[in-house]
Amino acid sequence: MTLGKKIQDLLARVARVTAGGGEKAIRKQVASGKLTARDRIRAILDEDSFHEYDLFVEHKCKDFGMDGKQLAGDGVITGTGTIESFPVCIFAQDFTVAGGSLGLMHARKITKIMDHAMKLGVPLIGINDSGGARIQEGVNSLAGYGEIFYRNTLASGVIPQISVILGPCAGGAVYSPALTDFVFVVEGISKMFITGPEVIKTVLGEEITMEDLGGARVQAEISGNAHFYADSEAECFAQIKRLVSYIPWNNRKKPNPFPPRPPRTGQLTARIIPAEVNQPFDVRDLIRTISDDSDFFEIQEHWAANIVIGFARLHGETVGIVGNQPLVLAGVLDVDASDKAARFIRFCDAFNIPLVTLVDLPGYLPGADQEHAGVIRHGAKILYAYSEATVPKVTVILRKAYGGGYIAMCSRHLGADFVFAWPSAEIAVMGSEGAANIIFRKEIAAADDPAAMRQLKIREYSEKFANPYIAAANGHIDAVIQPEETREYLIHALEVSQRKSEVRPERKHGVPPF
Amino acid sequence: MDAEDLGQIHDPDKLSAYLARSTDAGDNLCVDGTTYRTQLPPKFRRRKPYVLHDQREVRARIPGTIVRLLVRPGQEVERGRQLLIVEAMKMQNAVLAPCAGRVKAIHVEVGQQVPKGTLLAELE
Repeated sequence: MTLGKKIQDLLARVARVTAGGGEKAIRKQVASGKLTARDRIRAILDEDSFHEYDLFVEHKCKDFGMDGKQLAGDGVITGTGTIESFPVCIFAQDFTVAGGSLGLMHARKITKIMDHAMKLGVPLIGINDSGGARIQEGVNSLAGYGEIFYRNTLASGVIPQISVILGPCAGGAVYSPALTDFVFVVEGISKMFITGPEVIKTVLGEEITMEDLGGARVQAEISGNAHFYADSEAECFAQIKRLVSYIPWNNRKKPNPFPPRPPRTGQLTARIIPAEVNQPFDVRDLIRTISDDSDFFEIQEHWAANIVIGFARLHGETVGIVGNQPLVLAGVLDVDASDKAARFIRFCDAFNIPLVTLVDLPGYLPGADQEHAGVIRHGAKILYAYSEATVPKVTVILRKAYGGGYIAMCSRHLGADFVFAWPSAEIAVMGSEGAANIIFRKEIAAADDPAAMRQLKIREYSEKFANPYIAAANGHIDAVIQPEETREYLIHALEVSQRKSEVRPERKHGVPPF
Repeated sequence: MDAEDLGQIHDPDKLSAYLARSTDAGDNLCVDGTTYRTQLPPKFRRRKPYVLHDQREVRARIPGTIVRLLVRPGQEVERGRQLLIVEAMKMQNAVLAPCAGRVKAIHVEVGQQVPKGTLLAELE
């Protein structure tokens, strides 16, 4: 054969495999509102940047009629590419090929691209769209999952890992996304669960739809498994691109700096906060008065909305922001909020992203349901994560910082490098009402007019303790600043913290409360 | 929605008569005696208030089929004594007496399928 013929032969082979599961299967995929695996990769990566590998990998299964059955690429597409010139490794399961089912060679392609990502020190993006284990391949299929989970774990905190759920992701398969840093879901398309509606009905007699069990909304609002929720695949891809702009390639690098920009909103920071400590405001409005270009990229917007987490830039540098949200549940810490913040703090710490904490909370949420759900051990996660973090940590106390909540929200005592407080800050054991009721219990009870006495004592306590100056007098905070100075103080604090280094005792790893 | 729907708490010092309340003017949450104007998210509204469980009521913890009854009404039982067997999740699960006492009633029969939470037996 001449080289020309051999090239023709190659092109014919490539065409056969890149046709995926064939026209009929592709039509079905598109009809269900989904892009094909290859189109998804093309939509996420820079134009023509995708380079595919392992196109000719074939399965070796001979049982149950699998012998001689051709599965294009064994149901998964793997390769490298760039997003805004940022290099990534990527894989996409192809639902048109045997339902994207995972067999041994399918898994080997995935673990190979994961190993590449680790060696190259670049993020991994995995697009999940699979019916699950390839039953015909039996235990080899399980082995494949296990080898993926193992690599997800070894890669954790070394390279950013992104999971995109664009179809079913059921049974053991869900644990790969769960081990990664960010999970993206799309309305009507993503389905995640350990056991499906059929099994639940058979075993438990409970009827539930797939959507109500593990649809996009459920994962984004109730379970907290998903970090980003989108109405369409196109919106989801835009979110992925945006996320990648804030994070570094790996744990030895810093995120790429952007040109510094002033906030876009002309709004005064001080105007956002109501004078009364019990009136709400949206902490995201406040973030937008201090961030570059008034930009804030929120993570897990719909779950545990009483705490807000996300990325922004200050003078061009990425920061991770954690803020109590008085607008929802008065901004209390509860099981979900602690879990949400702690994981984010650990991501930022692992990837050299400084932490900015905005404090306004009345404490932990009271209630039997919270105690029974383990608010003690979940709440401890946030203490652990902040204490463990060695990236620059800057805290701004806006209003309330009461009791355990004050300690938990990156106080000086958990190793904050800089703690600033506004003049409106109240750093105290609890709110004035509660404190006065306990401290002056006897006086109030003995008074002729207990109600009037209570009000008097509340005022007395409030005037004396509901301010930042006692904490300032003890050196627990570094400066009392005006709201309009916040951005400048933050930028300066981060600038001088650039070479921060903290030495911790040597250990294999800590034992965090999870 | 009134205060009862969202769970009451009674502090010994009467710091607050409720934890959460939804009114026409908006939602409130009370923490340590201070009432905050805020929003109560759906997940919070759906949480189940804690009910004191009477351990003399023996209930099905998983749905299944009753395959054997091991005690009769009137019988004295020790704590941990097997009361009946429920087949569920491909296992024969023994339901044990949560406390010592006398069997007041058995509410199920052999062969009966029971949903989760069914009252199986009562002790006294």
